[in-house]
Amino acid sequence: MGLLAGKRVFSIMALCMMVGLLLLPIVVALPSLAIGEEAPAGDAAKKDGDKVEKGRDVYYKTEGIVVGAPAPKTVDGPRDYPRYNFESRVLLWFANQQHLYYGSFVLAVPIFCMIIEFMGVVTKDKALAKRYDQLAYDFIKISLTAYSLTAILGGILIFTFLTLYPAFFSYLSGIFRPVMHIYALMFVAESGTLYIYYYGWDKMKEGFLKWIHLSMSVILNIIGTLLMFLANSWIGFMMSPAGVDEQGRYLGNIWHVIHTALWNPLNLHRILGNMAFGGGVVAAYAAYKFLASKTDEDRAHYDWMGYIAMALGVAFLIPLPFAGYWLMREVYAYRQQMGITLMGGLLAWLFIIQATMIGILFLSTNYYLWQAMGRMRGAEKYQRYIKYLVFILACGYMVFITPHTMVMTPAELKAMGGQQHPVLGNYGVMSAKNGGINVIITTTVLSFVWYMRGNKVSTVSWAKFGNIFMGIFFGAAYFNIIFLAIYGYYIPANVRVGLSVPQVATTLSCLFFMFALNSVMMKGAKQLGPIEWGKISARSQYALIMLATAFTWMMGLMGYIRSSVRLFWHVNEIMRDNSPWAYTHTVGFAANMISFNVLFFWITILFVFWLGSLGAKKVPVESKAGIPSGVPQPAASH
Amino acid sequence: MKALMSLGALIGVAGLLLLGGMVLDVVPSTYIRLVEGYMPIQMLLEVACYVIGFTGLSYTLNAMGMAIPRFWQGIGFWVFFLLYLKYRMYPPIPFSVRAMYGTVSLVAVFMWVSASEEDWQKFKQPIMNVLDAQTGGNRILRYLYLVLLPILIGGFSFNAMMPKSEEPIELRTVHPAPPASTKVHGKTYTLQTSQNPYRVNPEGKYDQEFSNANIVEQGMGRLMKPNANPWDDKNQGYLKYVREGGEIFFQNCHFCHGDNLNGRGLHAFAFNPIPANFTDPGTIAQLQETFIFWRVSKGGIGLPNEGFPWASVMPPWEQHLTVDEIWKVVLFEYWHTGYYPRTWD
Repeated sequence: MGLLAGKRVFSIMALCMMVGLLLLPIVVALPSLAIGEEAPAGDAAKKDGDKVEKGRDVYYKTEGIVVGAPAPKTVDGPRDYPRYNFESRVLLWFANQQHLYYGSFVLAVPIFCMIIEFMGVVTKDKALAKRYDQLAYDFIKISLTAYSLTAILGGILIFTFLTLYPAFFSYLSGIFRPVMHIYALMFVAESGTLYIYYYGWDKMKEGFLKWIHLSMSVILNIIGTLLMFLANSWIGFMMSPAGVDEQGRYLGNIWHVIHTALWNPLNLHRILGNMAFGGGVVAAYAAYKFLASKTDEDRAHYDWMGYIAMALGVAFLIPLPFAGYWLMREVYAYRQQMGITLMGGLLAWLFIIQATMIGILFLSTNYYLWQAMGRMRGAEKYQRYIKYLVFILACGYMVFITPHTMVMTPAELKAMGGQQHPVLGNYGVMSAKNGGINVIITTTVLSFVWYMRGNKVSTVSWAKFGNIFMGIFFGAAYFNIIFLAIYGYYIPANVRVGLSVPQVATTLSCLFFMFALNSVMMKGAKQLGPIEWGKISARSQYALIMLATAFTWMMGLMGYIRSSVRLFWHVNEIMRDNSPWAYTHTVGFAANMISFNVLFFWITILFVFWLGSLGAKKVPVESKAGIPSGVPQPAASH
Repeated sequence: MKALMSLGALIGVAGLLLLGGMVLDVVPSTYIRLVEGYMPIQMLLEVACYVIGFTGLSYTLNAMGMAIPRFWQGIGFWVFFLLYLKYRMYPPIPFSVRAMYGTVSLVAVFMWVSASEEDWQKFKQPIMNVLDAQTGGNRILRYLYLVLLPILIGGFSFNAMMPKSEEPIELRTVHPAPPASTKVHGKTYTLQTSQNPYRVNPEGKYDQEFSNANIVEQGMGRLMKPNANPWDDKNQGYLKYVREGGEIFFQNCHFCHGDNLNGRGLHAFAFNPIPANFTDPGTIAQLQETFIFWRVSKGGIGLPNEGFPWASVMPPWEQHLTVDEIWKVVLFEYWHTGYYPRTWD
């Protein structure tokens, strides 16, 4: 009893420490914020005999006292752009991308841990709860090694900035000085919290202590998310500067500098992207372990792990295109040129590649689900209809990837009689593409619904009505999405942009209503057979690996697109890039560079996985504790 | 069900015969016309009909005891789709797009034939039979593949490496990003906020809703709205400006852009690429009016760096037209095509 009370006190103390760590950066930064804002202005005022210079915010259009130096007008030379005999931009690209990959991974995995640990806590089935807990522990173990690598890569990134782009970094750090300090302190808080969370796992695995432990994961994720938001404010500032005047002089309002036009869309897009990416990486890890497994037990465990990671990843992948759409909308609203450069101009071809990758993600997900139906008795009744889903997916995909301006030889151009194909050219515009992607996502939702009811027969009295209703609902959803896609051609562009809202609403209605209805219908359903975890084709695991690889590639691509849309600006319209590399790379070079980054990441993450497996070997009893013996039965896991 | 499947089979056979005729050049591609205004959805519906038809055909043959092996079903459908894109669609689809569609359809066929373990076993059985080579026929086939496959790959490699005399492919940026502002006849116009001074309602105020209500109808015929004929002398304001814009268009632009504004004017085919087709929903319908104003004023020579290879011979019309004339031409182009200029509200 005394021991338990002691543990409780210890746990509460640990939780308080975490909250303290969370608040520490804010408390510590407050005085420095005040000094940062007022001291230079005060000094300036003294020097100029109480005469203060005012500037106009380039974005908010408010007036403020100039407290910063103007953006440096750099010249190509060793002072502003010291270099090796290599393109500095490529080095920075590499360092940045690797840091982002690992950063995304270590921010996403604790969110998964939180969700899975919560599922374990609320699940009544004790065996299943233990398995969830073990899974969450496995996840955090993987992320711990990755966390060190993230920090190392962050250091490399800063050194690369300091040594290759000193003028630019000096300007940026001059403006973001208080934010950077808060960021550093948040990082300390994140590390402290993560270590307490990880090493306190076994000590807090029961009852009230478990809830404390779960609360720690919430704090951990709040810190992680805030960290990411702060980092996003730097890239948001580079794309859509605010809080400075036309010369780039800081006007003393740090919130304006952080809260730029694109900050919030970037935050949302990145948080969803990180989650989907993290899910993909963990699913690929599970797939790799599944393929390498020698026993049925291991296969069952990793099959289940892969499914959970995939489901979590896809749950965040589904809203991702809509978040991306919002981001692009805000980009257009901020600067028309930027929007056209992205979607209709110089970088439009990269968007076609992006569409291809998005399609691959959804196709892989659907394929995995269809394969997963193979491990359920009773799912055969759906398999004969898969060919129609394939057809719908393929049609949506082809529309989605059709370029508006096609790659063609001059001879083909003449034969076609114009720059746009009269039939396929129509698929190249936004209206058709919105229809295409919504059809793909709705079909993915349908695949999920089939999977969820694969081995079950509803026993509710209104089952027949429910099935008909679901059929009609999906039919109407497809009709509405396609109708709106066609209707979009006959209305003004500003109204057409707005049509994406009912299209998205239709897709999300399918997601939420049909999932909810299906869950109600399947409550107490008759099981036709168990889910035979581990009895799934190897093809399904390759689909998971494909999912993760496609996501990694797409992340690299989108990062490149977002960054290169600034064209020859370090900070858009404020600080010009005068290095010899202020040009846009060719599509081929960019694709090769992205592929190299992806390859490097996967090689290093394999190293991280290997390190994780070394740890597991050291504590065989601990790690085996939660692994299911025999074929597992996560009754309501999906 | 049986009757439905038989009907499907009939559609499948008819479709196959039709496509066969097109491949052999017995039936022209235009035998079943692609209806202007409905072409994209018509194509999708046609392919959907074929899928239903082939399902019916497969079902019927199965019932007759003449089932087509899954392997040949998959390969057959893929080949069919490639031929459909090549011979049914007109004007011809560039190879790059056919390659994209071909890859997607190949992936789709793979997903279909391997969706369940049973289907996958059925699909790969003929391949395994040839690899195992238990029968004489399969043994011969295996040797044939052993010889033919390297020759085929060698042929592809040779073809890919062989120097070509045709012009290289260009990734042309059709809509390069415009500048933030443009200076025409000494006055600076901010593209994000400028408005066409002639898009006005009877009170003389800028009113896009009013002008939108008076443009021609989209789709076939492009009919004028009742009481909205710009060539009626009684009409003033917006419609009068459209008429004036039309006169300027037919005096200066239609030689290249065509009297239907579809980029097929008298001189169009002297240029490569041919001039922009304003009736395509991907050109002016996607752009702000100020973008068109900028492009018309500055012409091909004023394209920014990203517009490389600057394949446009359009003159900088600011050297020939006044600002008012340019705005009126832009007004006419939107009126005639039935499109609304893009706005950002």
